[in-house]
Amino acid sequence: MADGKTAKDVMIDVFDFPHIPYWFTIKQTVGIIKKSVLGREKCVQPLAILVFDEKYNLVGTVSLKDILKGLEPRFLRQSTKAQGHSEDETGLSVLWDTLFDKEAKEVCEHQISEIMTPSKYFLEPGDPITKAAYLMLRYDLTLLPVLEDKKKFVGLLRMNEIFDELSNAILK
Amino acid sequence: MPKPIDREKSQKLYVQLFELLKEKIEKGEWAVGTQIPTEEELCKKYEVSKATVRIAILDLVRQGYLTRQQGKGTFVCKRIIPEGLAMSTGFKELMLEAGVNFTTAVLAQTVLMPTDDLDVKLGIAENVHVIYIKRLRSMDNEPVLLQESYIPRHLCTLLLKEDVENNSLFDLLEYKFKIKITRVTDYIEIAYLTKDEGRLLGLKEGSPALLLEQHFYAGESQIMYMRSIKRPERFRFFIELERKT
Repeated sequence: MADGKTAKDVMIDVFDFPHIPYWFTIKQTVGIIKKSVLGREKCVQPLAILVFDEKYNLVGTVSLKDILKGLEPRFLRQSTKAQGHSEDETGLSVLWDTLFDKEAKEVCEHQISEIMTPSKYFLEPGDPITKAAYLMLRYDLTLLPVLEDKKKFVGLLRMNEIFDELSNAILK
Repeated sequence: MPKPIDREKSQKLYVQLFELLKEKIEKGEWAVGTQIPTEEELCKKYEVSKATVRIAILDLVRQGYLTRQQGKGTFVCKRIIPEGLAMSTGFKELMLEAGVNFTTAVLAQTVLMPTDDLDVKLGIAENVHVIYIKRLRSMDNEPVLLQESYIPRHLCTLLLKEDVENNSLFDLLEYKFKIKITRVTDYIEIAYLTKDEGRLLGLKEGSPALLLEQHFYAGESQIMYMRSIKRPERFRFFIELERKT
């Protein structure tokens, strides 16, 4: 299966992604996404920002979805109606210009660590990619960090490469 | 009526605009601390493109006349101009690292992307990874100096792993990474401490302190931007100037 490929064979460079420390505000992060991710020709998918602590340890990732969820405009809030309301009708009556209101502007000044996806699952460079596939599916992850000796952050795994490798086995 | 931009002149438009705006600041027409007109307003006023305005403003930011605050606008800063004099002070003394018995605590040694003015101050593109080192230096167990250094990561990727507690950045850059520092520019001003800075230096938020901003160059390219905040009472600055013969 997948020729025994391991994490280190398919991981991608961590510096393909923007880095920030956890104390940056949501607003600063949005600025970085606008400037150095969106609108760049060379743009690595999935769009994500890596969040580090003072000692350059990875503590989490931030996706575009994380940010929108963090700002939590009204259309994302859980419907309070008990029954009989289909999911996709929630908040449709809310006008666009009232969505990102004052409240969201305040939230913008909060630290990014409040809304990031904390990194809880890691792989060692020698782990098989089947393990990566398992973790990504099991915990719905878009990126999976690879740590050497449980400490040194050496690479990232994403679905593209893993799928590619696994699909070779199917097509053979 | 603003002085017009002369399209007949061979001088580039943004250079002309830069000079015009610089004059306004130097003559005090735009007072320290005031917000300058928006890019759009300047485009209209001087009949130039947005790109021209932007470059002129970035240059003024780089040279310390203006400061950009994200989401707020661009403001005229307090500026002391130390240019035009050749310094004979050794670079090493300027680093405030040698000679004094500091103890150093490394508060951060990590990587970030430029925000606010950092890309301009460091003269880099917006999407460049930057090594960030934050150190608190104490004398006789009293914190005196908070130093934040920014270095483009691609110049010395291994700096992230170096011991910056016991080594000076100057030595690491020059001897370990073989980057020869050829020029340093300094801006010195009074700053008012943020809450966080105050906490680290043992002073109240808003207390005055000395702010030293330094840009280190190797040839034409800037290799490091360092921002040092000092308790006001512990230092006397010595700079010797010598006329070039």
